[in-house]
Amino acid sequence: MINSKNSFVYTILFMILITAFFTFLLAGLNHMTSDAIALNEETDLRSTILYVFDINPNSNDPKIIEETFDKYVESKQIGDETIYYIEKNGEIIAYAFPVNGVALWGSIQAYASVSADFTELLGIDFISHNETPGLGGRITEEWFKEQFRGLDLTKSDNEEYIKYRPAPNGNVDAITGATITSNAVRDIFNENIHEFINKEGGEM
Amino acid sequence: MTGDSTKKIFNKGIWEDNPIVRQIIGICSALAVTNLMLNSLIMGLALTFVTAFSELTVSLIRKYIPKHIRMMVQVLIISVYVIIVDLFLKGYYPEMSRALGPYVGLIITNCIIMGRCEGYAQNNPPFNSFLDGIASGIGYTIILLAISFVRELLGFGTIFGFQVLSDWWTNWTIMVMPPSAFFILGVIVWWARSRYEKEERERRKATS
Repeated sequence: MINSKNSFVYTILFMILITAFFTFLLAGLNHMTSDAIALNEETDLRSTILYVFDINPNSNDPKIIEETFDKYVESKQIGDETIYYIEKNGEIIAYAFPVNGVALWGSIQAYASVSADFTELLGIDFISHNETPGLGGRITEEWFKEQFRGLDLTKSDNEEYIKYRPAPNGNVDAITGATITSNAVRDIFNENIHEFINKEGGEM
Repeated sequence: MTGDSTKKIFNKGIWEDNPIVRQIIGICSALAVTNLMLNSLIMGLALTFVTAFSELTVSLIRKYIPKHIRMMVQVLIISVYVIIVDLFLKGYYPEMSRALGPYVGLIITNCIIMGRCEGYAQNNPPFNSFLDGIASGIGYTIILLAISFVRELLGFGTIFGFQVLSDWWTNWTIMVMPPSAFFILGVIVWWARSRYEKEERERRKATS
């Protein structure tokens, strides 16, 4: 038996058996946790959308977030993107759309919301980013995101909706020590907002 | 080799053979996740869990593993536990999972786990191996917490997220960036090494 431990057949059989065992174990665990993970991701997305529309569910409970979301927000498919909108008295008053781009360390996924007549930026929020914690990572902090609420989109020149102070007509403060991330965020949003307005405005 | 006492295992893992300051392994993550103490703590717990259970599993089946493929088997076992940690964090602690990001998956590349599996679990009984994993994990966690204590205090003015330094304090940006961990780690290794030498000298004096 000792001699056969190093034999070709034993080695192959051992590897197959141990791999199969652990694969089944992981498959089982994956199945058990997949519901919780999917729920977390959905809740994340829902709270992001609610945040950009400035609707506060007043709770972190996934159920309440879902109820609030279903009550206010509708969605439709445009091309391969999902656009969210809210209605008041049967009329659409605001849109939320996905924003993607590359910043200093990696890609940024975010959402932005504009009013239905495209005159006002209602809010922005981030889904994922890889910026340095404590520096570029501060883009997810409340004070930074809140600055984007209610920006006027009609007074811009050359589609520069977002401009950092102290530039003339600047409307938002950048993050100290994170210039590249701040600039990337500005460019990503300016570009995506412009694109959305052109596309959506053309369709209506 | 059956009788390593619990005290000896813990003394070795935490001080005498501390993975980071003595063996200088596993320092990648010591640089990467130590800018906040909470991240360091979770990383330390995750690594302790993975090391302990990987060592236990390797030790349990060590007599059946063909010698020439033992590394393959070890990597397989380690990766299983890393995936378990990843699933657990994603499912029940999504914020932590987001904060640690890719570093959870990279636990598998942490040399401490492979080193202990190969160096200890392969030749020792299961229970001792399990304890050895916990001891090494605690040794690693303590160093991580020490580094992140300095970095978080000077970089953010906080400890575990609680503000301790008020407005007069200017945050050191360098402490938030990974390179600062090099300086702090260097100082800790320096301090620990001089302690080792002192202990060594005293031991020699006592025997002579």
